[in-house]
Amino acid sequence: MDFAFLSETTMTLLAAVPTTLALFSLSVAIGGLLALLIVWMRVGGNPVLSAFAKGYIFVFRGSPLLIQMFLVFYGLAQFKVIRDGPLWPLLREPFVCAVLSLALCTAGYSAEIFRGGIRSVSPREIEAARSIGMSGFLLVRRIIAPIAFRYALPSYSTEVVLMMKSTSLASLVTVWEVTGVAQRLISHSYRTMEVFLCAAIIYLILNFIVLQAMALLERSLSKHLRAPPVKP
Amino acid sequence: MATLEVLGFGENGWGALLLVAAGVTLAVTAAALAIGAVLGTIVAAAKLSHSRLLNFLGHLYTTIFRGVPELLIIYLIYFGGSSAVTAVGKAMGYQGFLGLPSFLAGAFAVGVISGSYQAEVFRGAYLAISKGELEAASAIGMHRGLRLRRIIMPQVLRYALPGISNVWQLSLKDSALVSVTGLAELMRTSQVAAGSTRQYFLFFVVGGCLYLILTSLSDQIFNRAERRANRSMPSAMGQV
Amino acid sequence: MPGVTRLSVRDIRKSFGAHEVLSGISLEAQDGDVISVLGASGSGKSTFLRCINLLEIADAGEIWVDGEQIRMIHGSGRSRPASQKQVDHIRSELGMVFQSFNLWSHMTILQNIIEGPVHVLKRPRAEAVSEAEALLEKVGIADKRHVYPAHLSGGQQQRAAIARALAMKPKVMLFDEPTSALDPELVGEVLRVMRALAEEGMTMLVVTHEMSFARNVSNRVVFMREGLVECTGTPDEMFGDGASPAFRQFIGHFAN
Repeated sequence: MDFAFLSETTMTLLAAVPTTLALFSLSVAIGGLLALLIVWMRVGGNPVLSAFAKGYIFVFRGSPLLIQMFLVFYGLAQFKVIRDGPLWPLLREPFVCAVLSLALCTAGYSAEIFRGGIRSVSPREIEAARSIGMSGFLLVRRIIAPIAFRYALPSYSTEVVLMMKSTSLASLVTVWEVTGVAQRLISHSYRTMEVFLCAAIIYLILNFIVLQAMALLERSLSKHLRAPPVKP
Repeated sequence: MATLEVLGFGENGWGALLLVAAGVTLAVTAAALAIGAVLGTIVAAAKLSHSRLLNFLGHLYTTIFRGVPELLIIYLIYFGGSSAVTAVGKAMGYQGFLGLPSFLAGAFAVGVISGSYQAEVFRGAYLAISKGELEAASAIGMHRGLRLRRIIMPQVLRYALPGISNVWQLSLKDSALVSVTGLAELMRTSQVAAGSTRQYFLFFVVGGCLYLILTSLSDQIFNRAERRANRSMPSAMGQV
Repeated sequence: MPGVTRLSVRDIRKSFGAHEVLSGISLEAQDGDVISVLGASGSGKSTFLRCINLLEIADAGEIWVDGEQIRMIHGSGRSRPASQKQVDHIRSELGMVFQSFNLWSHMTILQNIIEGPVHVLKRPRAEAVSEAEALLEKVGIADKRHVYPAHLSGGQQQRAAIARALAMKPKVMLFDEPTSALDPELVGEVLRVMRALAEEGMTMLVVTHEMSFARNVSNRVVFMREGLVECTGTPDEMFGDGASPAFRQFIGHFAN
């Protein structure tokens, strides 16, 4: 084993971790908010908004992320309106395009996951809230959302890990995150296996941390599902 | 006018090429699903076995191939496979670079990933078979092989069908990443068409629509298959 | 304030599709009235109760709570309340106790009880907590205040649900078969709490199958049959000779 090469490779890859993490956290945060908006449209009762949300979910879950990302990165630049528009300084940045398409995509998947959570909230608990005079946003904020989020959490954890992996696609629109750097190292050195191993370990550690954080969150939200405390 | 021409089936049109590319995408995905089924069965068996070493190896496989970006795995198999082929070529006296055929590399890479998901699907399906049915099979004197073939396999397939359907959809989308090896599947062809006509928006939208057609058509086919497979189940138990 | 009309329902009608469940029900409750609503299952008594706090929307009729009429829009198609704000307000004045408790599973008992006072009535938290603790004391589960609903027996859950409804300081309490989902040995503890409430002068409308409660605690009994009030009177009148043959037949089932 060539430890010098391995450590050098690891250091080079680690330098790209902040980019990966920035892509990940921004797209999960923006995608999560967008998902809330879409799921609100989907279940809100307005047929036009609901149809739009359905279409959104269908398109972003049914087509590959890569083609969505290329559409944003190459496709938008084709239009003069956008090139002359106020957002162009942002939209010309590969990083912004990558975050945008990652967020748009995860919003589709997350909306569907949140909808599943909402559907598993017992109608009786909602009725009890209505009976004391709750409605609208208060009802959603205090009763529906906390229960639904708890139900949705296991699937949402899976989606978040998938997002960590999906950030690798940003390398194909010239954002140099971990996978992109790994690819460059491979094509320079032809030592595929070693570079792969280093990069793989980095991703596995990142996923492990994310999963632990989600598990912690799940634990703190499931006090009511655990066995009753033993009497002192 | 120009749009119709570039999308058409004429001399300057990309229509025919895109349709062929969609076919290549289906072929890569199907090959990947088959490779993944073999790998998935082996890994599921390892995870279900009583050997701790096999358990560990099974877990290692699923952890790595579900936790590492698909793109990285495609690089591993494409570049790694090519180096291996080149090394073999050198040993046989051929000087120079030998590339792994991109279809093979792509199908294998997506297959390895899909295998890690299928392993979980098969394991879950096996665990869903009732113990009583297995005991009943032993009780009438079925030996191990017969039990596997007559009782276990058909049931595993039925329980696994919804999961396989999910893996298929996943692989269909993963196959777009194979475009980095240069294989002229749907993603790559859309990209080439977009680049050479400078109509990026148009071709990525058309490519995306073709993917949507593929995913929704295959979804319908799987739904029909699930309904068929669940004929013997009371309706309430239809969903596993 | 005896003599004040707390609840007045006039000619309520409700259909589900072609099936008419309520064919014109009227009822009036003065302050301190405890009214038991009896009837076979399918007689519409639960639907009637749910129409009062608008968990179901009646097709026609008037509902007055403490002198305030609920404004309805009976246009073409389905009826609906004119103002969600008014509905929320009316509901906060009507305490509802459900057959299956319907406590919020993600909150402790104390959190369940202060939820309404703090977030609907916008009252200071500390005040809500001390009142909630007094209510828990009253229904006899003060030691369970930091426990989650899933860890309580049915009887304890129902008592917590009663405390949750009381925390809103309702003008009228509505009970929808509060003991029907309970094991027989747990019915008594819930009935005792309800009886104590009645003795304090709470205005109560109770849909129930508990004949002893109807007979001994309530001051009026309403018997519903096929979406109509078949007969009504004091417990003495109803359980004496004055009741209709249908009611006598109905209570005959419980005697066996």
